[in-house]
Amino acid sequence: MANLSIPAIRQRLFNTSKNETSTQRSTNPFAASSFKGNVLTADVFESSAKKNAQPVFTGKLKASALVGSISGIGERFQNMVKSVTEFGMRIKDSVVNGWNKLNDIEISFAPAKEKLTGAYNSMKELLGTSVSDLLTTGVSAKSVAKMEDMTSARQLMQDAVTAWEAAV
Amino acid sequence: MTDKKIVKNVSNIIEGLGLNPNSESISILEDIGTNSKVDAIREMTSKALVRKNSHDALKVVITNKGKGINDMSTVVAMSTINELLSLSDKAEAVKILTDTAEMHSDEEVRDNARSVKALMALS
Repeated sequence: MANLSIPAIRQRLFNTSKNETSTQRSTNPFAASSFKGNVLTADVFESSAKKNAQPVFTGKLKASALVGSISGIGERFQNMVKSVTEFGMRIKDSVVNGWNKLNDIEISFAPAKEKLTGAYNSMKELLGTSVSDLLTTGVSAKSVAKMEDMTSARQLMQDAVTAWEAAV
Repeated sequence: MTDKKIVKNVSNIIEGLGLNPNSESISILEDIGTNSKVDAIREMTSKALVRKNSHDALKVVITNKGKGINDMSTVVAMSTINELLSLSDKAEAVKILTDTAEMHSDEEVRDNARSVKALMALS
């Protein structure tokens, strides 16, 4: 049954401390406020208690913390150096492996190289012979047209025709 | 199949002798070229002699039986006739053809000369 006494009614109408205490669990300053009838109960702001939880370095504690941090940096630095060294080793291994592979490839191409060299030499010989033939046995029409020694011209013609007739 | 080098060699010599101003070149072409057993050589030689467009050279391919226009090979004869028809100055060729058609001892040579002369008049 509802308490309808005057002090009770006054307490409900004017004393808000009771409601305020019910919202103390949140650090939200607007938690007590009503937005369109909805009370914000979530703690959307950073808790002041967390800030207080962080240690404050003062005096010896600060120095020891600094030393600890330095030693930590050294360890990190050592790890970094170690990782860099390992990275360098990996690079070196890769380069060495690559070099070995290249050597292997070069070895596997050796026969092809020999064949190419042979082809080059044969082509060189072919070109050399053809050029020498042109220079030695080739007769141009201009040279015959300017010939004054007709005995040689007759012999030249006779040899050429004989060669053709022999080939038929 | 004859070697291309040999063919080119013979061709160059015949062409060179055809351009050579020495009268001995005609004798060389007649003695060796027109008497060859190879049709191609006789053909090249006859054409070279016609291109000389001189009395002695034209006389070889017009008045001699078995040579030039009177060659037993139709290809050689027709090539020689074609070369005669291609001459820019046909005066000397027509004169020799006329004399051959009128005075040569061989009837076949006379008939050939007469036919070619007719062709020369039409061209």
